[in-house]
Amino acid sequence: MTEETATKIEAPAQLQADSRAIAVAIAGWLVPGLGHVLLRMWGRALACFLSVGALVFVGAGMRGNLFSWEGADPFSRLGFVADAGAGVFYWVAKSMEGGVSDVSHSYGDYGTRFLATAGVLNLLAALHAYEAARGRKA
Amino acid sequence: MISPSLRPSHFQVLVLFALAVSVALGFLSRREPRERFNYIARSLFWFLLIGVGIGWAMYPFSR
Repeated sequence: MTEETATKIEAPAQLQADSRAIAVAIAGWLVPGLGHVLLRMWGRALACFLSVGALVFVGAGMRGNLFSWEGADPFSRLGFVADAGAGVFYWVAKSMEGGVSDVSHSYGDYGTRFLATAGVLNLLAALHAYEAARGRKA
Repeated sequence: MISPSLRPSHFQVLVLFALAVSVALGFLSRREPRERFNYIARSLFWFLLIGVGIGWAMYPFSR
């Protein structure tokens, strides 16, 4: 088999592996831990789900601020990116708060940080799942 | 205005935050259970030590 023929055979397999890795990353972002579930990394999946879930639950319970896409300044939009990193938990937090945040207390301020941290942690987990699906990490 | 349904103390907030982040990072960055446990314990310890340390460092300026 020549080198050129081998490259032609490997290309579709590589494309398929890349597509799978992207699907795993998206699944991991949408539902915390799902990316690792698809890779049969049960411990990591459970740890991600529980950690992100706990941060969102407590953050929303303390009435932290959930940023929306229509933020007036770049920091609000950056906050939205962090919050939206939690995937479906963003809407869970929104429904828990009923659209009313309260940062007049320190609790609300803490809650805002908890919600943003949950999102960033989940993005990190989704990136880890992507790398693992590509065989770069285990 | 709706008051927060959860009102943990500052220290409880610190412990919960440190625990959640340490567990997630420990599971993501380490593979073996023993390594994970060591990482989580070390990370939690430093989170708490630095958090309480910064709290005490700010104490003179709080009044």
